[in-house]
Amino acid sequence: MSSRRSSRGNISEDEINELISKLQALLPSSRRRGSGQASTTKLLKETCSYIKSLHREVDDLSDRLSDLMSTMDHNSPGAEIIRSILRS
Amino acid sequence: MARCQGTVESLCQGLLDLDDDKFGAMCSAFGYLQEWPDLSAMCGAGLGATGVAAPGAGDGNDSSSCSGSGGADAGGFRKRRPDAYLDAKVDGNDMSKRPRGKQQLQQLCGVGEIAAPGKGKQERPKPGAKKKAEAASTAAAAGQKTDYIHVRARRGQATDSHSLAERVRRERISERMRYLQELVPGCSKVTGKAGMLDEIINYVQSLQKQVEFLSMKIAASNPVVSFDIVEDLFGRQLKQACGPAALPAAIALPAGQLEPSCLQMSPMQQVHPSAAAGSTGFGLDMVVNNMYPPAAATCPVSAATPVNGAAAAWDIVSQNLFSGFDAQFQSVESE
Repeated sequence: MSSRRSSRGNISEDEINELISKLQALLPSSRRRGSGQASTTKLLKETCSYIKSLHREVDDLSDRLSDLMSTMDHNSPGAEIIRSILRS
Repeated sequence: MARCQGTVESLCQGLLDLDDDKFGAMCSAFGYLQEWPDLSAMCGAGLGATGVAAPGAGDGNDSSSCSGSGGADAGGFRKRRPDAYLDAKVDGNDMSKRPRGKQQLQQLCGVGEIAAPGKGKQERPKPGAKKKAEAASTAAAAGQKTDYIHVRARRGQATDSHSLAERVRRERISERMRYLQELVPGCSKVTGKAGMLDEIINYVQSLQKQVEFLSMKIAASNPVVSFDIVEDLFGRQLKQACGPAALPAAIALPAGQLEPSCLQMSPMQQVHPSAAAGSTGFGLDMVVNNMYPPAAATCPVSAATPVNGAAAAWDIVSQNLFSGFDAQFQSVESE
């Protein structure tokens, strides 16, 4: 029944399912929960919140990084950061 | 609905003179029937999960209680409990009730078939009646075979309610997809679910990489950070930067400063031209230019010096790592 439905577009259901599971593997919560197939609705909801949390994290880290950079600028501009990166 | 309740009530009245205990059971069953509109309204309003999950249970219940009478309709989940009451009752006084049940059944069928959209509410009292009729018919056999037709009709409707829940589910999915489309840049241009999912996956991956990269960068530029943390971060970064998975990060970002091919370039190729030609390459000077506009002139030199000096000691790992780092960093910068 469901195959009939999703074959309306010319994307196969397998393809969608593959993408869905691929997406699920990216989400931290579903990765933790194991292989249990959550509903698509739930998965998409989780994706939304995960993307939002990633945005937040990126913003936060960018702020921290630019703070860090600006403080370093005065001490030893540029080279200090680069050296610390290269050292590792 | 009013009509259906009326029939159930009349049934209750019929039972009244039969047995007090059974009447009590019937009344409680009727109480369930009255409660159900809420339930069905909830189902209709968008509890797709319950709607989807319940029919399976309902089917099992039906087939067991009907014992091969062909009444495994998906609407069964709504009437499970009352069935128990009704069945118990029916066993005792089936003969007096049977004609009534049958009549009622036909009536209800007429109502239900006409009003498909509002069917959720009309269905509910009906199943109880039908159940009774079925139980009666299994007890009395032959003459009631026509009921099965009604059961079938109802089964068709039940499938409809099933598909109603399915429709609700699909609606919610597409609503989520629309929401995700807003969240993911470039996703609105893509048509089709597969393309959108692809885009979402790429975007999530690129975000994950950005987060990892930024935390690595912070760890790397923070002098007090312990060595193994940095190494761990770099190691993870390396895996991503070297694999083809690193490409989405570059593609997803709008500025397009970074050609995917640079990921494959060796760090020496990047650093030497940039050190020689000033700010033309993608090398460290670019990074530094973005971060420190005033210091742009001096930085390439200071960056290149340690690179050249240490180059001999570097193994291939750190070289790849470096190029990956550059690429990632520019991705982040360009956003």
